[in-house]
Amino acid sequence: MKKNISYILILWGLTIATASAQGIMGGHVTGNVQIDGQMSHADSVIGATDVPQRLLMNARADILYTNGDFSAGLRFEAYQDPLLGFDAEYKGQGLANYFVKYNGSKLTLTAGNFYEQFGNGLILRTYEDRYLGLDNSLLGVNVQYRPVDGVTLKALAGKQRYYWSYGDGLVRGVDGEVNLNSILKPMTDSKLRVTLGAGFVSKYEEDGNLTADDPSQLLNLPLNVGAGAVRGDICYGHWSLNAEYAMKGQDPSALNNYTYRTGNAAVVNLNYSQRGFSAGLQAKRVENMGFKSMRSQTGEMLYINYLPAITKNHTYAFLAMYPYATQVMGEQGLQADVMYKIKKGTLLGGKYGTDLHFNSSVVVGLDTTVTGGKGTDGYTVNPGLGPLYYGDASAEVAKKLSKSVKLTATYAYQVFNPVVENESGDLHHNNILIADLSWKVNKKHSLRFEAEWLGSDSYYNKAEEEHTDRRAGDWIMGLVEWNIGRNFFVSLSDQYAYQDGIGNYYNLSVGYTQGATRLQVGYGKQREGMLCIGGVCRLVPASNGLTFSLTTSF
Amino acid sequence: MKRTFLIINFSLLILFASCDKINPNEYTTSTGGSGPSNWENFNVQRALVEKYTGPKCPNCPNADVTLDAAHVQYGDRLIVISVNHPTGQGEPFANQPDLRTEDGSAWDTWLGINSIPAAYLNRDRSKQYSGSMSDIVAAIGDVVERYPLCGIGVTATATGDSIAIDVDVEFFSTIEGATTLTLALTEDSLVYKQSMPDGSRQDDYVHNHMLRDVITATFGDDVPLQGIAGEHKVGHFTYRLPDIEPSIVLSNCHIVAFLSYRDSRKIINSAECTIQ
Repeated sequence: MKKNISYILILWGLTIATASAQGIMGGHVTGNVQIDGQMSHADSVIGATDVPQRLLMNARADILYTNGDFSAGLRFEAYQDPLLGFDAEYKGQGLANYFVKYNGSKLTLTAGNFYEQFGNGLILRTYEDRYLGLDNSLLGVNVQYRPVDGVTLKALAGKQRYYWSYGDGLVRGVDGEVNLNSILKPMTDSKLRVTLGAGFVSKYEEDGNLTADDPSQLLNLPLNVGAGAVRGDICYGHWSLNAEYAMKGQDPSALNNYTYRTGNAAVVNLNYSQRGFSAGLQAKRVENMGFKSMRSQTGEMLYINYLPAITKNHTYAFLAMYPYATQVMGEQGLQADVMYKIKKGTLLGGKYGTDLHFNSSVVVGLDTTVTGGKGTDGYTVNPGLGPLYYGDASAEVAKKLSKSVKLTATYAYQVFNPVVENESGDLHHNNILIADLSWKVNKKHSLRFEAEWLGSDSYYNKAEEEHTDRRAGDWIMGLVEWNIGRNFFVSLSDQYAYQDGIGNYYNLSVGYTQGATRLQVGYGKQREGMLCIGGVCRLVPASNGLTFSLTTSF
Repeated sequence: MKRTFLIINFSLLILFASCDKINPNEYTTSTGGSGPSNWENFNVQRALVEKYTGPKCPNCPNADVTLDAAHVQYGDRLIVISVNHPTGQGEPFANQPDLRTEDGSAWDTWLGINSIPAAYLNRDRSKQYSGSMSDIVAAIGDVVERYPLCGIGVTATATGDSIAIDVDVEFFSTIEGATTLTLALTEDSLVYKQSMPDGSRQDDYVHNHMLRDVITATFGDDVPLQGIAGEHKVGHFTYRLPDIEPSIVLSNCHIVAFLSYRDSRKIINSAECTIQ
């Protein structure tokens, strides 16, 4: 990728030449820059190791040039060396992303790196998450065509980013989406809104010359692996229903131990919403849907598809301490979410009203029987449920106590199976209490206090230090945040394992914002754990030291 | 609108055709090899790691730990050659022997090693491993799972300071381009000073897999085979031990043989043996 400057110059040259030819030079340039740094030293209690480089840094700059229907952009990234928890493969610097784009009324054409999603992403979603260290953009061509209102056709082909190079496989895909209310006159003014879609993605990868478990047998690998999906969105009044079903052809890979059973996935979302009340029910079933553009890859890179999370993405520290990672080889689950606002002026609503939020999810595995290893179908699926992977239930009450004070209180119960992090052990049962109080002292100053407690039946075994989860045990946490005007804040927090656990993780953060520029500096200890966003996770190792972050945009 | 649906149908037709289906009785095919009886000796794909290191490199022992663990995992499917970097941290401490070699320095220069530790797997220049090299372990696993394009075996017998080496090569698949065969002498259990990750120096650090000499030309001798599936040849070499410091202890030595593409120098397969 670092050597692709010639391609970029050609693309930029074409853009500028086109712009010049049409006499539309001008346009405007926007961009943003982010620099994150980290210094850490060894701390045997929390398991932090020394950083021989002393300073680690991730930096990036996005620049976008727009001129009418044309735009062109590039992103420079530098990892000198990557922050703790980011893959060492990122070490280096260079242009990680570049594209030119024409966005007309009927046609959108992108050449270069692009991100795309078909439906819920069950067969294709390329995206970037800088906090996960994840970027599976495609380098190629993406065309969107809108022949009439309500109809969108997409076609794409390219190779996926793999750190500083590209994956072996070539990804091709088409997708079509039709809004019936736009193309069928009788439905134009109907309260029933219907959108239907379908897509197909195919991956080509050269033969890998791989042997089966019996080394005298060579795997006959499918070079072209296809996945297709159909979906629908239906809205009627306060109700909405979204459903998608996907199938994947034989795809022997390192994810499924090179077995040949096909994959499938289904997602259904049913929602009801009206003023002051909303409820949602989500169901998902996944079987063997790890779809990558390089069959030997097992990490988080090079996924062609994305399987939406069915558990709530928690933000409070202890709620997020045991996050659930999507199990691409097989899982089935349900999630229910209800929000209700008790009107103000009532007994429970008080002067300002009260917000209630309930959420519960449960995820179990598939009940499978192993029938063979590499070069076989691998397993069969039995009716019924597999092991419990994760379950939680939470209740949150948010109430404005006065004009300047707001309190949010949360109780949650979690059951967590370590097998979802490829660990063994008993189920962990956690009770969590959280109180979050915001106080606007005056026009210039505000304070926020957060207190959390986690009681868990897991415990830290010091005698087996190398194999023990440092999240274990009972914890308390306190946080004070002081905001001074719009520009400055100071935050002090501490997480302490007071029983059956280990570690005292204090943190001091200071932030300053000036216009579009923000600088934040922190010092303290980071607990080892999993950071999950949308069911996709990365391990964050323990650290003890200084962090800083500078962001700006123009 | 008709044109649009025609485009959709045509696109879907093309893409659905882009999906292979394998019948259950065709999931595997015989490799045509001799079968499992002699599989472990000849018909396997091995991973050769060239590790560029140095006695004054404090992070190099971390790479040793990773590769030692990989050796436990992959056994003789993994072959390691340690090469001391020609300058800087690769230079010896005062009053310590110089384990650099001209051939190793030529490999180092050709690969463009700028900092150590650094390693290449089967001389694939698209990927350099550095630091603790934790990512190399999975990559080795990917390599050794592959069905080899060729089988290679090596035996060595010493008589005095003369060593007779036999190398057996058989192509299982037809390959494009000329090939070269490289023979190297490596030595284990060399105990010398080494900078350690905590900043200290360890006087009795054990250096294993150290390159002592390249027996063939630096980047190998041309192989008189066309690279056609089924071709088989046994090559005979006679090698006289060089008079170098520290003197070579034959019982700690290995002969490493690897077959490479002549143009890209990428290693196709490799083998290693002790000296009898």
